[in-house]
Amino acid sequence: MLRVTGLDVFIDASHILRDVSLEVGERQVVCLVGRNGAGKTTTLRTIMGYRRPARGTIAFRDAALERMPTHAIAARGLAFSPEDSGIFADLTVAENIEIATWTRPTGRPGAERIARAYDVFPRLRGYAARGGTQLSGGERKMLSIARALALDPELLLLDEPFEGLSPAIIPTLAESLAAITRLGCGLLIAESNIHHVPPWTDRLYVIERGEIIFAGTLDQAHRDGSVLRVIGGKAS
Amino acid sequence: MLGGVFHAAVLFLVAAGLQLVFGVQRILNLACGSFYALGAYTGVSAVGWALGAGLPAPLFVLVLLAAGVALAAIGPPIERLLRTIYDRDEAFQLLLTFALVLMLEDVIRFVWGTAPVQLGGVYLVYGQARIASTTVPVYNLVVIAAGALIALGMGWFLARSRFGRIVRATAENREMAEALGVDMSRVYVRVFTLGVGLGTVGGALVIPATAAMNEMGIELIVEAFAVVVIGGLGSMRGAAAGALIVGVLKGVAIATWPEVEMLAIYVIVIAVLVLRPAGLFARATA
Repeated sequence: MLRVTGLDVFIDASHILRDVSLEVGERQVVCLVGRNGAGKTTTLRTIMGYRRPARGTIAFRDAALERMPTHAIAARGLAFSPEDSGIFADLTVAENIEIATWTRPTGRPGAERIARAYDVFPRLRGYAARGGTQLSGGERKMLSIARALALDPELLLLDEPFEGLSPAIIPTLAESLAAITRLGCGLLIAESNIHHVPPWTDRLYVIERGEIIFAGTLDQAHRDGSVLRVIGGKAS
Repeated sequence: MLGGVFHAAVLFLVAAGLQLVFGVQRILNLACGSFYALGAYTGVSAVGWALGAGLPAPLFVLVLLAAGVALAAIGPPIERLLRTIYDRDEAFQLLLTFALVLMLEDVIRFVWGTAPVQLGGVYLVYGQARIASTTVPVYNLVVIAAGALIALGMGWFLARSRFGRIVRATAENREMAEALGVDMSRVYVRVFTLGVGLGTVGGALVIPATAAMNEMGIELIVEAFAVVVIGGLGSMRGAAAGALIVGVLKGVAIATWPEVEMLAIYVIVIAVLVLRPAGLFARATA
């Protein structure tokens, strides 16, 4: 469904991504694992059209995304939840979710898309009238993902969904992500902690200093010495 | 005092246009005073033409409103021009919008000449009202009501309408709005045109009470910036409160001690800058 090939990205004069290739199949769950600063966020942001690659292609179904503006990429069915959640504090929780149903009409009615978002994150239902500033960090993550889901996407890009969450909430969020995949959505998750990678992940890429150094299953990653040297052991 | 509120209503419109464009597009548009001047001149010509064509005089206020709204059509091409500087330093924005001020001044000079243009004979068409021992032209009350209605309308639009919510989301986090499928260039054109329209309507409404002069744009932009500093950059409520403060203060100063008219405004501006640098109604988020 998504095929990234040979991506080279520069930010100012720094070479941030080197020849990055990765693939997400229909309804697949793929994790991009790496330390902070390894290039995970840049990879997701380049796919979303915030950065232009110097070389390489990004194909989504039959469309070439690498020259498309961000809103057109969203219209094709890629949704994004950034690391900082990107909640609109000026809007209520309900408005945050609703906005995605206005901008991208799909075959699914808006009310159903909103209901799906609340079904996946039932906790948000009680907060619908709250402002974006009155949420905890975990609730902001949930709202950010719920809002992305309301776009009725084919593929969700999640940047560090588990970061900064209390250990008590992590299983709840993992369950919500599993529910999203059951709705037929693909997931591309950037994650710095290999212990947060859900066991039902189809494939895992490890990125280090802007290069993909490993591609394979979670089991293979756990047995790979170079992977463990980069991201193993650390519980942060 | 009521003269001050009248001035505040007009000032609010221009400041609201400035706030809206800054809040969403992050452009400090010096030219919003020129839209005001252009609205004034166009208002004079439109009413002159309409009265010549046999329009009953009491309907002139509708002609002014229509002229102001129609003039907002200059918004999209000007926004097209500003698009080149969205991602550049503020200095470029100020330079380009100041260039716009000069160009629009020349447009006015070219079309209407250098002498002030006046709209005679309609100001008092609605008569005068006696309020608390002073007489006020009823037209002033009409403009105050129009300003209040537009303020309420803007408030409803931003708080309740779909596009208003998208505008607020965009103002807060442009990249996130884009990721949710919001086409920024379309939002920008509409917001900018709305901002232009607020200025041109303000200019058109003021004109029965005063003569249209080329310097009126520059004069008003200075006051509009005072309003913005007092109210807080990017805040609509701030624009309304700031316009009332500046307008009423100016009215009172002119009536009691005309020498300090400008000074009084800037004493408030400095006080706000010292005590609440972000303005009275600053947003919690940047």
